[in-house]
Amino acid sequence: MTEGAAPAPRIRVWDVPVRACHWLIVLFVAASWWTAETKRMDWHRYSGYALLALAAFRVYWGFFGSSTARFSQFVRGPRAVVSYLKGRWAVMPGHNPLGALSVLVLLGLLLSQVVLGLFAVDVDGIESGPLSTYVSFDAGRVAAEWHEELFDALLWLIGLHVAAVLFYLLYKKENLVGTMLHGMRRFPGAQVTPVRTASWVRLTVGVVLAGLLTWMVTRA
Amino acid sequence: MPAKLFRSVSAFVFTASLIAAIHAASAATPAELQKARHDHYKELGEAFKAVRDASKAASPDFAALEKAAGIVDKASVDQQQWFPKGTGPEAGKTRALPEIWSKPDDFTAAQKMFSERAPKLLAAAKTKDVAAVTAAFKDVGGACKNCHDTFRQPED
Repeated sequence: MTEGAAPAPRIRVWDVPVRACHWLIVLFVAASWWTAETKRMDWHRYSGYALLALAAFRVYWGFFGSSTARFSQFVRGPRAVVSYLKGRWAVMPGHNPLGALSVLVLLGLLLSQVVLGLFAVDVDGIESGPLSTYVSFDAGRVAAEWHEELFDALLWLIGLHVAAVLFYLLYKKENLVGTMLHGMRRFPGAQVTPVRTASWVRLTVGVVLAGLLTWMVTRA
Repeated sequence: MPAKLFRSVSAFVFTASLIAAIHAASAATPAELQKARHDHYKELGEAFKAVRDASKAASPDFAALEKAAGIVDKASVDQQQWFPKGTGPEAGKTRALPEIWSKPDDFTAAQKMFSERAPKLLAAAKTKDVAAVTAAFKDVGGACKNCHDTFRQPED
């Protein structure tokens, strides 16, 4: 940037639903961890239900939400990942091709984790997920064991995700945490289109659908 | 058959049976006892799940519920025999803690809590009152937790 020139304008990258979803997932993953470690299984179930609703909403938003939330906008092939890694990828609002993989894996793991929890049964047959009535004790135990294993995998990926954000902060001098909080980012020397937000109707439909799905699953 | 031979054969068969019987009675090694205990608790876990499943169903299967509650009730008494001396961690992999044998009075009290509460679950199951079953289930679960907190090694 030349001396005295105005800094690049702040461009909106993430809409409110994406940011709210992101930080609520952070909150409830932490809550699920803590309630499991301290054996507060009633609260663990509620926290899991919240994550089910959030993950379901995020999938919906990936198809019907704002431009930067859509899978069709950010999920690209391996060639795009390679060219991004070689530095031949134009800066644009939203996930880069490598970050997109991280989003898919994190969201996929989160969904798998929630689904396993729905079927899980503890070793004493006393605590269980709401759908465990549909499976045998042994199957419920297998679900519970995978539920435990998969959480480690999830933790590793969260660690990788945070490491990537730190890499951006310390090496590339880009504060992506701030961007995920206020939704804005500067793009020096680049002409970019801001996020195209989705309508209130779509948001309402998504919230209702996610709520309905969670309600149906958990009262089963 | 000559009488002498008959006597010898009878004596042999008798002695052999006696040895076999004694052997069978004392054959359970600590590892086998641990395995049997593990299997018993697995069956108990399955019964608990069956009680819970039935009590949560829209139209509960009361026959299955009563059967499972019966298994829980029987186990609550039987479990007092599942911890013979020598079947702790010294005998192999188990979550049974040494406190079971070093604090026998406390352990017996914890086991009694289970055997006092389990009949109430069975009684509730027999009345076909789902709310009573749910309450009794929670109560029995509390007895399980009470004992596990002190006498079972936490999961890693």
